[in-house]
Amino acid sequence: MISVLVVDDAAFMRLAIKNVLEKSGFKVIADAKNGQEGIEKFLEFQPDIVTMDITMPDMTGIEALKKIREIDPAAKVVMISAMGQERMVKEAILSGAKSFIVKPYKEEHITQTLMKIATSK
Amino acid sequence: MADLVNNFIVLEEDTQSGRYLTFNLGKEFFGIEIKYVTEIINMMPITSVPGLPNYIKGIINLRGRIIPVMDIRLRFNMNVLEYNDRTCIIVALIDNTDIGFIVDSVSEVLTIPESDIVDPPEMNKSSNKFIKGIGKVGEDIKLLLDYHSLLSCDDAEIFTNLAGG
Amino acid sequence: MGEQYNGDSLLEMFVFETTQNTEQLEKIILETENERHFSDSAINEIFRIMHTIKGSAAMMSYSYIASLAHKAEDLFFFIRENSSIEYNSSLISDLILLCMDFISSEVNKIKENTELDINGADEIIIQIEKCLEDIKVGKNSNPKEISNNLPSYSFKAILYYEEGCEMENIRAYSFIRDFEEYVQNISYNPEGIIDNDDTAFEIRKNGFLVFFDSNKSYNELNDIIMQTPFIKDIDLTLLDIEKCSHECTDIKPEDKKDVKNVLIQNEEIHNNKAENHQSAQSIISINVSKLDKLMNLIGEVVIAESMVVENPDLKGLELQSFRREALQLHKIIVEMQDMVMSMRLVPLTTTFQKMHRIVRDMSKKLGKEVMLEFIGEETEVDKNIIEHLSNPLLHLVRNSIDHGLEMPEERITAGKSPEGKVTLEAYNSGSNVFILAKDDGRGLNKEKILAKAKKNNILFKPESEMTDRDIYNMIFMPGFSTNENVSEFSGRGVGMDVVMQNILSIGGAVTVDSIERQGTTVTMKIPLTVAIIDGMNISVGDRHFTIPITAIRESFKPKKNDIICDTDGNLMIMVRGECYAIIKLHQQWDIETEIQELTDGILIMIEQDERRRCVFADTLIGQQQVVVKSMPDFIRRTRMVEGVAGCTLLGNGSISLILDTGWLMNAEIK
Repeated sequence: MISVLVVDDAAFMRLAIKNVLEKSGFKVIADAKNGQEGIEKFLEFQPDIVTMDITMPDMTGIEALKKIREIDPAAKVVMISAMGQERMVKEAILSGAKSFIVKPYKEEHITQTLMKIATSK
Repeated sequence: MADLVNNFIVLEEDTQSGRYLTFNLGKEFFGIEIKYVTEIINMMPITSVPGLPNYIKGIINLRGRIIPVMDIRLRFNMNVLEYNDRTCIIVALIDNTDIGFIVDSVSEVLTIPESDIVDPPEMNKSSNKFIKGIGKVGEDIKLLLDYHSLLSCDDAEIFTNLAGG
Repeated sequence: MGEQYNGDSLLEMFVFETTQNTEQLEKIILETENERHFSDSAINEIFRIMHTIKGSAAMMSYSYIASLAHKAEDLFFFIRENSSIEYNSSLISDLILLCMDFISSEVNKIKENTELDINGADEIIIQIEKCLEDIKVGKNSNPKEISNNLPSYSFKAILYYEEGCEMENIRAYSFIRDFEEYVQNISYNPEGIIDNDDTAFEIRKNGFLVFFDSNKSYNELNDIIMQTPFIKDIDLTLLDIEKCSHECTDIKPEDKKDVKNVLIQNEEIHNNKAENHQSAQSIISINVSKLDKLMNLIGEVVIAESMVVENPDLKGLELQSFRREALQLHKIIVEMQDMVMSMRLVPLTTTFQKMHRIVRDMSKKLGKEVMLEFIGEETEVDKNIIEHLSNPLLHLVRNSIDHGLEMPEERITAGKSPEGKVTLEAYNSGSNVFILAKDDGRGLNKEKILAKAKKNNILFKPESEMTDRDIYNMIFMPGFSTNENVSEFSGRGVGMDVVMQNILSIGGAVTVDSIERQGTTVTMKIPLTVAIIDGMNISVGDRHFTIPITAIRESFKPKKNDIICDTDGNLMIMVRGECYAIIKLHQQWDIETEIQELTDGILIMIEQDERRRCVFADTLIGQQQVVVKSMPDFIRRTRMVEGVAGCTLLGNGSISLILDTGWLMNAEIK
């Protein structure tokens, strides 16, 4: 089963993503409400894949992404962005994010993207 | 958005419903719903096609489109009248089928409200089955045609069955 | 039509495009010659052009042009990847121009069909190699490996992203980043994707075009690409080796994706031979709906013309000069009409050539040796019909290779050549186009088909009453499958009824014939409802009819002595010792005409399925290419019309009925 860490400052989003993923057979092994917590949980749980909100207080998703990639260059991180965040998304991709999903998303966008990323080498 | 479009279509149909193109065969006046009519053209050469009943006169070339034409007089078993320069073909698009109706002449477009339309009387007249209502316009009456029975191949089928034995 | 144009559209496209590319390249070189260095955009552009030429040349089997372009591409790849390197730009310019001159002169020879200088590229290739070595040596650090030693093929992929996935440019960038691990020599369009957000819109609309080289298989690459998030669809094409691809490299994606288009070969509709060598062929794509519109407009012009010329106001006037000019106008209009009709016609060549791909893939995969042969691929078919043919053909070719052809060893044991043969054949006959897919494989196995049919309970009549043909044709019944082993290519054998459905949808018919151990032939009969035929126009009274030329053996004025009347009053005619039945159109269809006696009119001998009959008409009007239109729905629904296969418009706007030759053969003579 594919294990996922969900990082998002909004509890609602965490729950929403978790519901979608678990319905489709993913295992959400942990969630985090900001970048710093995300890094800690990443170290602790070693998930197959991370979904990372871009804008979060304290430490943004991009900074967290960079840190995670430093820790594990093969880490698979998928960004969750809002419309109009082109610049941030670009930075994330340049920093090694595997893909990104734009809110509002369709359920299958999340599941398919994570499935593809998780199963690619 | 979809609602808007739907409303628009309803609106457009509204402006056309109750409107009839009237034409005459001899002394009788008929009306057909204008929403089906695509154009009215002068009589033009008709290419007859073997095997068809006499009231389907054949096909015409309307700017590259091949359209069958039906002589309404013959369809109603009325006497044959030679075509003259008042004879018209009313071209209609019904259920995605192009068809032309040959009539003596067209007269005008009228609005006949639902309330002025009555059911046709039960009469054993052959043309009656093609009439779906009688519209009253002042002192005159217009016989409103039922497109679908005009086009139905009922008798066509009988014909085939006979021929095919 | 066939005489005017026997073209190979792919070749024309190659010549056209390569000419354009070499011209473009020359322009770039000349523009940058005075600079010390090529600009980045110039380098990219030169690289891209060389890459394109390489791909198309390889596809057309001009491998020597491809190798030359490949070398030039290598050179610019190196320059591009090592931007700080020193080089002598004027030397390289000279070299590239030399390259260009050679390629354009070869392309010219290809066009003129004169002898090619196949070894001429070698000298230039050596020069380019030397130049590349010199540049490399001039630099101290170790340059990157340019290509590995495994054989690698060039591919083109168009990626389509899911709607609403947003920021396609960034996704494309991320794709390229990951994809570079698998392949070499990536180039893509639009460029500058990460910096320019407008490219997102472009990619959304046209897809993302990527060229690359790889030693991975087509399917592997396909899988890798499909693994990318938000990819909805890809269009992956192998550009290299043989002529196995179905398109030229630079058709813009929107042309093939969004609108129905038809390629119009300007050249082919000019039957003016003098023009042949001077002008470059220019090909554009046009929306089919515009052609439909144009066709209708021409129809209106024809009618308007006759209304002017026959205008009652002109009656009784002395109109010598008017008539002369009107005749000229008429000629022009007729020519226009022919041209518009011919524009809709597309030779089957491209459709057939698409099959090279599947043949190559499958023969590799299955270890079978397959030769693909085309007969009559220049046969022209209406654009609308072509679209319905690709899928059925693909299914048939797949089936032939997968199930029809044997493994080489088995073939040798059976006394056949180890190489199996699949033949696609097309020809016009009567009011139909026939398309055949043949193989020389093991043939269909009657017993197996019968057993399967019994098992699936689809026997439609007692086994004893079934002909071989009946049995074979059961393979087209829905859900039928004789495949012993499910394979990657033919799936569960659902293909055959798909073929049937496709062909039925365009009003055609499919039959299969097979000889055990010798092969199978599937025949698709496509009606000419939207095609064009050569027709003979005849008249009876004031009516016009058209008979497909291919069905006519001869026409002649009968002599009284040759006419025979048998005891039942049936008329027959004796021609060179043979007796033929006569069908009098005016009698058959109660048409009023003054020509009642056989000796006053003309007899037209029709042949179909090896049977002959003579049709009696008033006169022959003349031969003409006609566009076949189907009878209006309303009339077809009555199912009362027999003997008429369709209709067509004559030059003057009047309608001529196209006779159904099958019916003429079998009708009960009145």
